[in-house]
Amino acid sequence: MEGNFSEALLLMGVGLATVFVVLLLVICFGNLLIKAVNKFAPEEEKPKQIASKPVAALVDGAVQQAINKAVEQLTGGKGRVEKIVKL
Amino acid sequence: MGDILERIYGMTAFQSIIDQPSFLIMYLLAFVLLYLGIKKQYEPLLLIPIAFGVLIANFPGGGMGVLATDGEGMVHFLKDGKEVVRNIYEMSLPEIAHDLGVMNFLYYALIKTGLLPPIIFMGVGALTDFGPMLRNLKLAIFGAGAQFGIFAVLLVACNWFTMKEAASLAIIGGADGPTAIFTTIKLAPHLLGPIAIAAYSYMALVPVIVPLVVKLTCSKNELSINMKQQDKLYPSNTVIKNERALKIIFPIAVTTVVAIIVPSAVPLVGMLMFGNLIKEVGASTSRIFDAASNAIMNSATIFLGLCVGATMTVDAFLNWQTIGIVAGGFLAFGFSIFGGIMLVKLFNLFSKKKINPLIGATGLSAVPMASRVANEIALKYDPRNHVLNYCMSSNVSGVIGSAVAAGILIAFLG
Repeated sequence: MEGNFSEALLLMGVGLATVFVVLLLVICFGNLLIKAVNKFAPEEEKPKQIASKPVAALVDGAVQQAINKAVEQLTGGKGRVEKIVKL
Repeated sequence: MGDILERIYGMTAFQSIIDQPSFLIMYLLAFVLLYLGIKKQYEPLLLIPIAFGVLIANFPGGGMGVLATDGEGMVHFLKDGKEVVRNIYEMSLPEIAHDLGVMNFLYYALIKTGLLPPIIFMGVGALTDFGPMLRNLKLAIFGAGAQFGIFAVLLVACNWFTMKEAASLAIIGGADGPTAIFTTIKLAPHLLGPIAIAAYSYMALVPVIVPLVVKLTCSKNELSINMKQQDKLYPSNTVIKNERALKIIFPIAVTTVVAIIVPSAVPLVGMLMFGNLIKEVGASTSRIFDAASNAIMNSATIFLGLCVGATMTVDAFLNWQTIGIVAGGFLAFGFSIFGGIMLVKLFNLFSKKKINPLIGATGLSAVPMASRVANEIALKYDPRNHVLNYCMSSNVSGVIGSAVAAGILIAFLG
């Protein structure tokens, strides 16, 4: 048991020190990465805006009318269609 | 007629339960765990499968319990009415399925191989946001202080347990279920059931344990330290201009650093960071991100829970070791929170910029529950002191820290 205790004590020292070193390295690397990214890729690429097509361009009048009627029927006349998006 | 009735009676589990009433304790345990998972919502995703695994494993004749092996892997089982002794590691998986049942097959294929914990870590990574940690990078060091409980309990437990068993018990202090299970599979698989139950139960009790330790160790003044005010007084000179690029490079860098220093932690940290990478890449990996964070993780969780529960058979669970694990697990948890708080206090002694000790308390994993609990405590002392984002930094780094600690234990004792 005494051997176990000294081994556990050794593991405690090695273990805690290693965790500290790893997290310190993560912090240092993180800071270096922040500096590198700020220097070489400072601008965040903005997703290209896809111009939203008007509803009329996506569906023809008859389809739009059918959707409107279906929504009206389902919601008892309380709901209305604001936007139709093609998935 | 009497013969038929006798055979019907023999088919049921009544006689075995009467012969060994300790089965009833296991049913009671399963019912309590099911109640906690279903009604009290304590970690229901894992506690319910574990509890159900306990229940089905303990019906005599059901063949759903995972057979306990001795140190050399020998198992005793009945085949064609005769007792057979075989080395389980020399049996093929189809043989295990045929002779020992489907649950043993699942256990030896998915758990004993160490497959599921890294798979779950991949899912956890896919659900983790390293943004708060990157924005408050210095606070990540407090994730190291909160690993104190692991090694402190190792020191105590080695007096009653073997080193491998003590290490498996101590890793409960990392407050990370998959890490505890992974370490136990590698070091002391016969203790898997009670260690998993203790780990997940204490994780569910974070809202009770964290306030208790904080109350015992922190003053009102310390808990009132307003982090935003401190940031205004001592502003950081680090500005992140492109967080998206940083979040993509970060998991790759962390994996590389950890893999070089503690290679035995790579199954956990590597998979955690891989899961995170596919999340951060965005639209081009959205399909595998979706699979990792939903279908794969959920399937892994079901099988992990059921198999862990099925290891908790009467013989494997009802003994003094289990009581030691329950007590030791609580100590490990408490010491980990204490270690994190003490590191913050030490830091505050030498720094002008003061840190709220709650950020140290959340250095144990249990993401994000520990941070949410710490935030609630901070708001009690100062309604404008929102520390959630700061706590998340040490909380997430605690996941890395506990995986590294597990890697060290496995490397030294495995």
